[in-house]
Amino acid sequence: MKKRGIGYASTFYGTGYGNGFPDISRAIAELGKDGNVYIYVGATEVGQGAKTILSQIAAEALGIDFSKITFICEDTSITPDAGTAAASRQTYNTGNAIKLAAEELKREIMNVASEELNVNTTNIQEYLKKIADIKGDKVIRKDGIFTASTTEMDVETGQGNPYYPYTFSVYGVEVEVDTSTGIVEVLRAACGQDVGRAINPKLIEGQIDGGFSMGLGYAIMEDLNVENGKIKHDRFTSYLIPTALDMPDIDKIIVEDPESTGPYGAKGIGEPVLIAVAPAILNAIYNAVGVRMTEVPVTPEKLLKALREKERGA
Amino acid sequence: MKKISLKINGKEYNVEIEKDMRLLDLLRDQLHLTGTKEGCGEGECGACTVIMDGVTVNSCMVLAFQADGSEIITIEGLDKGDKLHPIQKAFLDEGAVQCGFCIPGMVLSAKALLDKKPSPSRKEIREGISGNLCRCTGYNKIVDAIDKASQYLKEEGEEK
Repeated sequence: MKKRGIGYASTFYGTGYGNGFPDISRAIAELGKDGNVYIYVGATEVGQGAKTILSQIAAEALGIDFSKITFICEDTSITPDAGTAAASRQTYNTGNAIKLAAEELKREIMNVASEELNVNTTNIQEYLKKIADIKGDKVIRKDGIFTASTTEMDVETGQGNPYYPYTFSVYGVEVEVDTSTGIVEVLRAACGQDVGRAINPKLIEGQIDGGFSMGLGYAIMEDLNVENGKIKHDRFTSYLIPTALDMPDIDKIIVEDPESTGPYGAKGIGEPVLIAVAPAILNAIYNAVGVRMTEVPVTPEKLLKALREKERGA
Repeated sequence: MKKISLKINGKEYNVEIEKDMRLLDLLRDQLHLTGTKEGCGEGECGACTVIMDGVTVNSCMVLAFQADGSEIITIEGLDKGDKLHPIQKAFLDEGAVQCGFCIPGMVLSAKALLDKKPSPSRKEIREGISGNLCRCTGYNKIVDAIDKASQYLKEEGEEK
């Protein structure tokens, strides 16, 4: 028999390293000889869209076109340390560092425009090449350093303010459980994600889809099958991850509530979009068949066993 | 060693290969068509997908000599100089690419699907790429992109 159920889960998640661990991002903004602005950061682009979002932040801070920004990242011989692409921290932490560096650069460009060209304007784009020519080999280069707020928790009481800021999210999913096979299919899903400010909504949607598929795999498929410290499911034939057929379309609700300390109000969402997925699916399974699964992944074998135990008990 | 001849992206090749060489290695190592990616190497992930005589194959599971006399399309064969193929353009427009490793295979699976079925439903699109694993995107924007590519290809057909 096929039974349907609906489940919800919500989380709040502190981004950044947290717990008092030093969390520092550095960036350099430079007016190149060609009149383009170069941003140097050690931030790593792994497909999440950091290059795009961080370039957008730089363009916004300078008040110039996105196409005038050249973004240089990852090469540690020429870029300053912007910390890891982890802890959902690049948009907020490195975004802040880039904003600071870009604002400093803009101030200096405005000073030079005022002194050398007798132009007083905040609209610097059309003067970039002229100012670059005036400066010649002495390119204008400005640093931005952002240190996140974090305190170590009290070892005695476990109290403290380990993270800043927090990101909030909620997922709702509908599942169909086949009680004869134990197979769970996720039929549809909705995600409400607090983002502070959506610097690039399309990239946020992509992160939500990606986070959902990882959460879906975590909830019902991905089983490392560790025996005596050895991973038995060490290939895709046994370690199953979602395919396009396993993924539902997701209604995405991007909640904008600007964070006062974020770059233009933005916060990180990389991990938050994943976390509530598995509990929402497990709640939906409970709603569908009345068994409370407490171990992931809820594979067909485990769910069938639980269903039989429930029948025997009833 | 064995001599084979095959057509890749419209160009004739006569190559000498080792008998146990995979098609994937012929493409990447011998012909330097490195757009085709190796993922799992055992036919599960689809990263090495190419089109062989009109159907998609995992090039890690095909021996090079089996491609003798066949016609292969790799990701390098899709664009026309500076002009992207409509499927590639749709992938960019929809933000369907994250880390990008699965994308050459995804695009070729999309092409094989759209060549046969110009107006697929979302379900058919999902089936069409179900042999290509992606860890980043959750597939939905890729499905959107293939849907959009179907429109682009129709518009292109009308212009001609």
